[in-house]
Amino acid sequence: MTKQPEQASENCAFTLDQAKAVAQEAGEQVVPTYCAMCGPNPTCGIYAFVKDGRFTRVAGMAESPLNKGGVCPKGHAAPQWVYSPDRLRKPLLRKGAKGEGVFQEISWDEAISVIADRLRQQKVQYGPESLAILSPARRSYSDFIQRFLIAHGSPNYGHSGICFVQREFAFSYTIGGQPRCDYKNADLIVLWGRQPIYSGPAMGPARDLVAAKRRGAKIIAIKPSVEPDVGMADIWAPLRPGTDAALALSMLNVIIGENLIDAPFVEAWCYGYEQLRAHIRKYPPEWGERISGVPAGQIQEIARLYATTRAATIDLGNGVEHAPSSSDAIRSVAILMAITGHLDRPGGNLLGGGRRSMPSPKTVNLADRYTQEMVDKLVGPELPKVFQPFWGGTSSAYYRILDSVLTKTPYPIRTIIAPGTQPTVSNRGSKRVVEALKKVDFYVVLDVTRTADMNYADIVLPVSTPYESDHPFESRGNWIMARNQVIEPLGDYKSMYEFFLDLGVQMGYGADFWNGSITDCQNYQLSPFGLTIEELREYPVGLVYDPKGNARSYENYSRIFKRRSNALSHEPYLPQGKVAIYNTTFEREGYNPLPEWREPPESITGTPELAKKYPLILSDYHTSKVYSASWQRNVPYLREIQPFPTLHIHPATAAARKINDQDWIIVESPHGWMKVKAELYPGIRPDTVMILHGWWQGCRELGFDDMPILDGGANVNNMYSVDPDQAFDPLITAMSSQTLVEVRKYEP
Amino acid sequence: MSHDQWGFVFNKENCIQCHGCEVACKTWRNIDLGVNWRRVINLWSGEYPHVTCSSASIACMHCIEPACIDVCPTAAVSKHATDGIVLVDAEKCSGCQACLDACPYEVPQFGLDGIMQKCDMCLSGKPDGSNFSQKAPPCVSTCPTQALVLQKMTVSQKKEAEQTIKVLLNNQ
Repeated sequence: MTKQPEQASENCAFTLDQAKAVAQEAGEQVVPTYCAMCGPNPTCGIYAFVKDGRFTRVAGMAESPLNKGGVCPKGHAAPQWVYSPDRLRKPLLRKGAKGEGVFQEISWDEAISVIADRLRQQKVQYGPESLAILSPARRSYSDFIQRFLIAHGSPNYGHSGICFVQREFAFSYTIGGQPRCDYKNADLIVLWGRQPIYSGPAMGPARDLVAAKRRGAKIIAIKPSVEPDVGMADIWAPLRPGTDAALALSMLNVIIGENLIDAPFVEAWCYGYEQLRAHIRKYPPEWGERISGVPAGQIQEIARLYATTRAATIDLGNGVEHAPSSSDAIRSVAILMAITGHLDRPGGNLLGGGRRSMPSPKTVNLADRYTQEMVDKLVGPELPKVFQPFWGGTSSAYYRILDSVLTKTPYPIRTIIAPGTQPTVSNRGSKRVVEALKKVDFYVVLDVTRTADMNYADIVLPVSTPYESDHPFESRGNWIMARNQVIEPLGDYKSMYEFFLDLGVQMGYGADFWNGSITDCQNYQLSPFGLTIEELREYPVGLVYDPKGNARSYENYSRIFKRRSNALSHEPYLPQGKVAIYNTTFEREGYNPLPEWREPPESITGTPELAKKYPLILSDYHTSKVYSASWQRNVPYLREIQPFPTLHIHPATAAARKINDQDWIIVESPHGWMKVKAELYPGIRPDTVMILHGWWQGCRELGFDDMPILDGGANVNNMYSVDPDQAFDPLITAMSSQTLVEVRKYEP
Repeated sequence: MSHDQWGFVFNKENCIQCHGCEVACKTWRNIDLGVNWRRVINLWSGEYPHVTCSSASIACMHCIEPACIDVCPTAAVSKHATDGIVLVDAEKCSGCQACLDACPYEVPQFGLDGIMQKCDMCLSGKPDGSNFSQKAPPCVSTCPTQALVLQKMTVSQKKEAEQTIKVLLNNQ
């Protein structure tokens, strides 16, 4: 009972000295490093505690300007992930048939040789573009993937087509860039298809949202079901999945019809307002209600409130990136921000008038080596070729890479490398993905634990967790810190970074890969800081640059609207130097100059005949409170909180089908079926059901078996259309995550 | 009984339902699977479309007048006079679960050994617990939004904190 705090402090997380004192009392060591449960990325700073060489527990790092000592459940459960019985131990070479799961253990050197031999042979026979590497969500190693591909000569970086780039693209070509949300000064915050809490709960947005709420800011949440942000909201607009474009178009109709615009801004900085005014007449709120399910009166209320609140910001989330009208939704929202005068003003949506006091590390993606020939060779461009390279480099859509193996159009990809990503559960069209993995010439999987599709791999490589590795350093905002190794590797592991460096050297690209030295690589990246990695490591909690150096100016329109794109032409995003309401660039390339509405492949309003057999809309959640995407189901402390794949279904919808809470149910769409549990959920549209994506993995400690990846399992990506003409946004490859289903009780 | 007792205050407005406190408790105290000293529950109110959801983080409230002490036939539960912390003596507990029926917060947990276990505020003086003597317990220090706070409080403040959780549970 000693040294009790007299009063709870505002923030009682550990500083380094306090963490050390606690560790000393218990005979432990403490290692300052980054959490890796939604990475590796520049994420939360943590203190990892180690007892007798074993990683035992985690505390938040009070000094980190990012998480300020907070840690989420995933971060705390990290030791169970590191010591999972599912860890891969040795490199594996396939011995049985594809899919059979019969492997022989080999050494890392042998594995790298086998891969390099195959890549060299295919490069001669089919050209370097026959290699594609699938990217998981953006990770710290994404630039190393780009680097390897460019050194090899392939443009086929396989980006998901379901996250981030869709917003980045449509915003850039409408208002010159993806805007930030000024939570700190906003009187009204519109959370639109956004989940600021499950995505990094200990980082800034959740904290800022709570602070805004306490300050009296109003919050509007737009999404099909109640999540924690809806719990904080003053207004919830429950729209049908995939209808964000319809809602945004109707809001534009209200605002333009009632002349709630910022006329001087529109006059000075917008191109094509008159064309929009004529075009938008066909989208009145009554039409918006019919499509989106949001009552016309609520559409008017939200539109008026947003347009007439001076400090109002829209936080547009990943939820809008999963529909064939995704680009139209994002463009419409960008136009909403612009014509109401909310761009780059305090409390609105900021366009980058900020200046950071911290330098940026050198990038490693070799983006200056792109050529027209490489762009022309993209196997399935995520964005039209004329706009490539775009964000971070060229990209083919992840699904289109896999599909090329089956269609051989324009040519078949011959080798697919999957570093930390699981194509059968992370991307739509699981049935076709399985066929592609059976057929592709060579498939390489790198991961920490068993993956959903490693049995189709020719080579499986076991990678270290970031807790077993001392690289890479990370930087974000005004904070840079070295990553420190917490424990010795538990198996025959290399990091993802070491893999790309070693493979580069083996392929003869050593000069581009620091001859295999990760230390030289980090020193190169750190050169703008005037530090080596060893010097950076001397600052145990990193370096925080003075935020006062981050001067901010507003209304930087003349500069921002002139930004040039990364495309080979470097043409400006906005040809008129104004907001592209009427988009002449898209018109030139054969796309809609004004945003329009396109139905999902299957929907209540788009396919009413089909809705008679399948009356409910199915969509999925991209994030969860305890899992990162499709991994971590095998972490027991997390699995206890969300043990089963459950379908959120409104109690009335369930009652009509005699379904009770936690019953096993069959969910059937025109494309597949799942066996999952029903969770009677009062906060969901009665015409809609939703489930978390990514379910397949068992949890041995809790006695849960793996589930089938295709029909009969809980993999929602098996349920959707992948019809090339209907299931994709034509401009930005957003893949539809809406279909129609019927639900019935499971009868064994 | 001292008027200065330690206690948890849960601020519903600040809770973002992240469950960080729940898992911090489990890893720091090495709690068995299936046992929860702290739990985060969802609280629904209203009917669609005027429906909303908040949450509550609940562990032992170390009550002013603990019902578990009154009902325990073996006097295994006791309350520290100095700081108000309620502790279980595993040697004395018979595993009858009378405390579970009595507790208004459904706090008592029974693992494989059948003995009652629960939050000891990480200040119990046990080897594991002593780790936290310098700072608040991990459930509190990990909270990104200060929804959970540890405070020294008067009897009336503690009654208020107890009442807050009772109201949240009763409105479920």
